[in-house]
Amino acid sequence: MLSRSAQGLYWMGRYLERAQHLCRLLQLQVEALVDRPVWEIHLGWSRIYNALNRQPPFGGIQFDKRDNYTLADSYTLAGDLTFERSNPDSVWNCFALGRENARQMRHRISAEMWISLNLAYLRIQKLSIEDIWKTSPENFYAETVEEIHTFSGVASTTMYRDEGWHFMQLGRCIERAQLSVALFLAQMATAKLYQDSPDADCTALLRLYHAFDAYDRKHSLEIQPDQVLDLLAADPMLPSSLCRSLDSAAEELAAIAHGPSASSSAAARRLAGRLQALIRHEWPDRQDREAMLRQIGEHCRNLHNQVMAAYIDYSVDDAPVH
Amino acid sequence: MEFAAYHLDDGIYDEMLQPNGEPREHSRLLYETLCQLSSEEIGSIQERVTRSFSNEGISFTVYGDAEANERIIPVDCLPRILPAAEWRHLEIGLTQRLAALNRFLDDVYGDARIIGDGVIPADVVRDCPQYRSEMCGVSVPHGTWVAVCGTDLVRTNQGFQVLEDNLRVPSGVSYMIANRKVVKTSLRRLYRSSRVRGVEHYGRLLQETLRELSPSGRNDPCIALLTPGVYNSAFYEHMFLAREIGAELVEGRDLLVNGGFVYMRTTSGLRRVDVVYRRVDDDFLDPLVFREDSLLGVPGLIHAYKLGNVAVVNAPGTGIADDKSVYAYVPDMIRYYLSEEPILANVQTHLCRRPEELEYTLDNLENLVVKRVGESGGYGMLVGPHSTPEEREAYAEQMRANPADFISQPVLPLSRAACLVEGRPEPRHVDLRPFVLHGTTTRLVPGAFCRVALRRGSLVVNSSQGGGGKDLWVLED
Repeated sequence: MLSRSAQGLYWMGRYLERAQHLCRLLQLQVEALVDRPVWEIHLGWSRIYNALNRQPPFGGIQFDKRDNYTLADSYTLAGDLTFERSNPDSVWNCFALGRENARQMRHRISAEMWISLNLAYLRIQKLSIEDIWKTSPENFYAETVEEIHTFSGVASTTMYRDEGWHFMQLGRCIERAQLSVALFLAQMATAKLYQDSPDADCTALLRLYHAFDAYDRKHSLEIQPDQVLDLLAADPMLPSSLCRSLDSAAEELAAIAHGPSASSSAAARRLAGRLQALIRHEWPDRQDREAMLRQIGEHCRNLHNQVMAAYIDYSVDDAPVH
Repeated sequence: MEFAAYHLDDGIYDEMLQPNGEPREHSRLLYETLCQLSSEEIGSIQERVTRSFSNEGISFTVYGDAEANERIIPVDCLPRILPAAEWRHLEIGLTQRLAALNRFLDDVYGDARIIGDGVIPADVVRDCPQYRSEMCGVSVPHGTWVAVCGTDLVRTNQGFQVLEDNLRVPSGVSYMIANRKVVKTSLRRLYRSSRVRGVEHYGRLLQETLRELSPSGRNDPCIALLTPGVYNSAFYEHMFLAREIGAELVEGRDLLVNGGFVYMRTTSGLRRVDVVYRRVDDDFLDPLVFREDSLLGVPGLIHAYKLGNVAVVNAPGTGIADDKSVYAYVPDMIRYYLSEEPILANVQTHLCRRPEELEYTLDNLENLVVKRVGESGGYGMLVGPHSTPEEREAYAEQMRANPADFISQPVLPLSRAACLVEGRPEPRHVDLRPFVLHGTTTRLVPGAFCRVALRRGSLVVNSSQGGGGKDLWVLED
């Protein structure tokens, strides 16, 4: 397929995954505003900003025990992460960019996919932080996640399984893996800041990954941060674990034919394989989890670059002619 | 819905009603159906049609309109109906006209007999900015310079007339199909009973046409639709057509020319392209031949084209035949090349390059429409009766400075069709743009993009100037 089309579908997958991930984070965070202690709310915001590598709009997040301040700050922070046009990673921007890539690739996706995404876009476009804050902001995030799930479901039942499909899925997998790595590192960093924090924080992570039941089945009800991280990072049966994302990335890459240079595409596949090996075989024995996560994050960035080099931005001088 | 307050004007042809207020025979069923619907019912049909366009993102872009990059094209839910005989007349006339235009292009870039024989003055052709001397002596496959033609037709009490021919990159066909898709499902029973001819197979006809024009010996030609990109006003249409004909939607940066062949960059290497259905203007097609600052085109494309290794559709240089000055000579072309009388009449046109016609135009500015020969889309036009004395004076000054840049035409009382306005039927001026295809043979679907001047009293139907669309139903015999 046309390289630019593959690129557009790849980025569509990435942006929608990013929007979904952020919505899930924000959904849990605004739910916490209802009944969680102030320190936990602060910890949540710190973790989100840390994971996004972004500074909050009014400088650092200050720990203040007064409820009123916490709620006012939360409104500003949620606005910054949801609708702020100057924040490239806001939900609004991620969604708009995902939809824009879809618009440019409408001839490559099914009509049903386009309509499902466009309807969601039209709804979000009309809203502001004031609108969603009036009632229950968590509903807005839940609905947006649901719309992205619907889009994914429509895609899986209607999209032709050609290279376009695999590039879209590859984008989602690489994005999800990178977001997971960033979130786990942020979790470690905030845990250091709030050393006396109990497990409630890990509970939020388990909910984020829909992993509560799996954790219960595997371990006791007592939450152990290390066991939580092991589950979310390395369990191949958990659909959104880091391990599952890396497995899927390798599978999608294997489904895409070799690019113009067999050696470039082989290098990308080898890297994807190395990532799988790292999380499946090295993770259990490694003590320094933080260093390993950084290594995986670096490899994910390289994998992205290698995919682009192999299929999209290759030199035409030696490219085969069909 | 009531037609009691529907305004009829003796000087303006109404597409649905006769001057006595009775429905025309072919519109009777539509009229009776509408009369049986309550305002709420028809309002909800209109709402559904509009929402469907919005949900599907059927849009166009207005240049210089930063706020509304993607604007949803307004669509009126009441169809305009043409009986079979009227369509047959148009079909024959359009086929005749395109045949003459293709002959003209082949001639004017060849021996230019038509100029030598004094039918068209040489300066009308050679001074035209759309004349591409680079195309002189080029032999195009099957003599088909124009494979996709969108001719604007208007109707007055005197019958149909050709307002202009669009022979470069005519657009609007996607709206024709989108209008049909949504209107027929909104008025399903009426549609079924009316026995309307389908238009949805346009994509197949276009694909067949493009395949006919591919270089010989290419059994399964690779077709690419070349778009200027997502910011182009007709991007929706480009995407729509690429999907319909199974073509890749490419931008200039996706293509390259190597060894006289055109290739596109794919995930598995370079793939040869046989047909470029270009929706990019001549100026931007190839920076080595036309505008060298163009970033939209493909360096070397014209070289590959002249070698016969790729088809470019429509051929570069076709703009000379839809120039507003050359337009005045199309009836003469038909007589000259085909030895036939034109079936479809032109609108009376005054070429301001002729001193006496300039004088006439200046003396009658208040009653004329003046157009710049190089403009399209309703831009740069003066509609005399709707202009102020200051606007006329400013325009007249420009005309005196460069008379050859202007033509004038009488203000035509374009026919009107019933549109739904605030829950009531109101007449609005309309035109129609059928799309004629020609590879080795002529094909056209029985339908057209029917444009509507949605503002009360306005005669400007262009989408960029407040116009909208309407479904046009051509009935079976």
